[in-house]
Amino acid sequence: MQFVKFAKILVLFLICKTTLIISISFGPAGFIDIKDPLMQAVVFEYRLPRVLLAMLVGASLAAAGCAMQAFFRNPLADPYVLGVSSAASVGAAVVISLGIGSTWNIMLSAFLASLVTSFSVYRLGRRGENYAVLLAGIAVSSLLSGITAIIIYFSQQSAHEILFWIMGSFSRAIWQKVLLLTIPFFIGVTYLLLNSWNLNAILLGEEHARSLGINVERFRKELIAVTSLLTSASVAVCGIIGFVGIIVPHTMRLIFGEAHQRLLPSAILFGATLMPLVDLVSRTCTTGEIPVGAVTAILGSPFFLYILRRGL
Amino acid sequence: MKLEVRGVRVELKSREVLRNVTLRLEEGEILSILGPNGSGKTTLLRTIFGILKPLDGTVLFDGKKLEFDEIAKIAAYLPQEVPQTKLRVIDVVLLGRTPHLSRIKRAGEIDYGIALEALREVGLRGFEERIFDELSGGEKQKVMLARLFAQKPKLMLLDEPTAHLDLSAQIEIMRLIRRQVDSGCSAIIAMHDINLAAAFSDKILMLKNGEVHLVGKPEDVITPESVREVYGVDVSVRKIGKYVIVIPAARGSGNGIHVHVICGGGSGAEIIQMLLEAGYKVSAGVLNALDSDWEIATELGCEVISEAPFCDISDESHERNIKMVENADFVVLANLSIGRGNLKNLIAAKVAAELGKLIVIEKDRLDRRNFAGKVAEIIYSEISSKSLVVRNEVEVLKSIQNFVKHRSGNP
Repeated sequence: MQFVKFAKILVLFLICKTTLIISISFGPAGFIDIKDPLMQAVVFEYRLPRVLLAMLVGASLAAAGCAMQAFFRNPLADPYVLGVSSAASVGAAVVISLGIGSTWNIMLSAFLASLVTSFSVYRLGRRGENYAVLLAGIAVSSLLSGITAIIIYFSQQSAHEILFWIMGSFSRAIWQKVLLLTIPFFIGVTYLLLNSWNLNAILLGEEHARSLGINVERFRKELIAVTSLLTSASVAVCGIIGFVGIIVPHTMRLIFGEAHQRLLPSAILFGATLMPLVDLVSRTCTTGEIPVGAVTAILGSPFFLYILRRGL
Repeated sequence: MKLEVRGVRVELKSREVLRNVTLRLEEGEILSILGPNGSGKTTLLRTIFGILKPLDGTVLFDGKKLEFDEIAKIAAYLPQEVPQTKLRVIDVVLLGRTPHLSRIKRAGEIDYGIALEALREVGLRGFEERIFDELSGGEKQKVMLARLFAQKPKLMLLDEPTAHLDLSAQIEIMRLIRRQVDSGCSAIIAMHDINLAAAFSDKILMLKNGEVHLVGKPEDVITPESVREVYGVDVSVRKIGKYVIVIPAARGSGNGIHVHVICGGGSGAEIIQMLLEAGYKVSAGVLNALDSDWEIATELGCEVISEAPFCDISDESHERNIKMVENADFVVLANLSIGRGNLKNLIAAKVAAELGKLIVIEKDRLDRRNFAGKVAEIIYSEISSKSLVVRNEVEVLKSIQNFVKHRSGNP
């Protein structure tokens, strides 16, 4: 048993590493050629930060989705569905349109907007049935997406800019963004990994978690903060990329089961694998670039149908 | 471990839910909390477990006041709601170790051992890898008990652990709790099923509107009076050995119709219960005390004309019986055996037949149950010609209902 688990993780790790190599090998400038100094520059200045950014974003969104599904006890909970991503994009759009859009400011503003939104969605959805939180999320999400579009429109930005925030893209990857994302990524992921036991407990319901001596009120606040941090940091560097938080954890559940001690690390690893692959497809399969969010949306719909069949 | 709750007062959303609640629990005791919905049972359990802070009063464990995270190390609480999760059974049971794990929570070999032992105790060894959601209701609750046992508690607080379970699962769950308590802990159980509570508890506490109404041994606490005061329903209470059984009492004669049943030797038990259930006022007689019909009729609160055990019907009782027959709207002659001792019952039935209000239940021919000779035969044939003869109890009920519907008054 232990060996099988270890083997599964090892295979996942190897796939992740292979993806990294493949992703930096292909691109509009052609296949990698180590001896070509121009190509070295392309790989180092362009492809490598882009791939690393995609890995960090994929892992962050997957981890956030995983935690949200446990916290809301709802298999469809994820940063995109619950409107937390949209909130981050509003936060980002506001600072940019005010002309104070340094990367730090964007991150901070996105984080605050996400935090407020997560908390509101939780408050709105906690009283009702399973779908109440989803309805609350959809309501908040569509409102905020609209606001984002309007802000960008009135700040005289191009349609391309709107598309960047609403559909997501890694085309603006630079090393600075990679380094900036690393900090929230490590804080968030470390916290979640250390608390994977408590995530199992909260899966049974808040009262059951309390009955195990867990301070649910504090844990809830921390989870809202951490998932907001992971989501907003991702959105701040690459716009809204939806459904990653659903696709990745559910795929891993099929292989590793529900317990977060295994689910969470595998989801982080698989998120870091899937995202660069999706990005690779979006930047190489046509002459231009397809928005990454469009590809994940197409991938996401089968998962909704799968969950629909299986029952909420 | 000794638990003491002293004068606890709890408010939820500025509504007083518990008022001056005091209780004591010794090691090896099961205390069941009974009370209608909203009487504060769950609130009391949550207060003892430290989830809710009382405004007044204290909860003492072995004489000490404890903080929330310390309580989880010695007490285990099972909330009412059964979780829905696709976690494996072993993962759920291992969660019981949570209060005993260090800051960074990882289950070690010892924890695994304890979890497996807990599963064995509830009879679910081999279920470790099963998915919790795919178990039956009874199995799920047993897994939850194993989760509690894995916590190695000195005190268990259980909120309706048998709700929504079938009878065998209810009893199994209660036995498992009992066994755990016998091996050195104590338990407080919030319950709805009075009979189950009485069978498995050492003490019963009745809560009414957040106050302790009564506390004590089941047989002392569960009485028709206390149940009426706490739940607001009329019941009768039977005691069989140490068991106490609560039975719904007659709903009283809503329609004001009085049915007198002439029976004995168990022939009337069923019709008496059916008539009471249907809301009629029921009387019975003449019955010897301690006869099985007598027991049921008295338990269910009917007016019964009684004769001393094993004695012939006296003239006095017979006269009262005739009076009762005259006053009743309908008289039912049950499928009883006739002997010298109760021949007078047949005579009373004859009076009823002459008044045109007799319904005879004839399941067996008279000669099979006649021990009084020719006399009884003659009377019986006279009766039969003047009354409605039916085959079973259901037909009695139907014909009474028909008569009532057509307002014809007399059959």
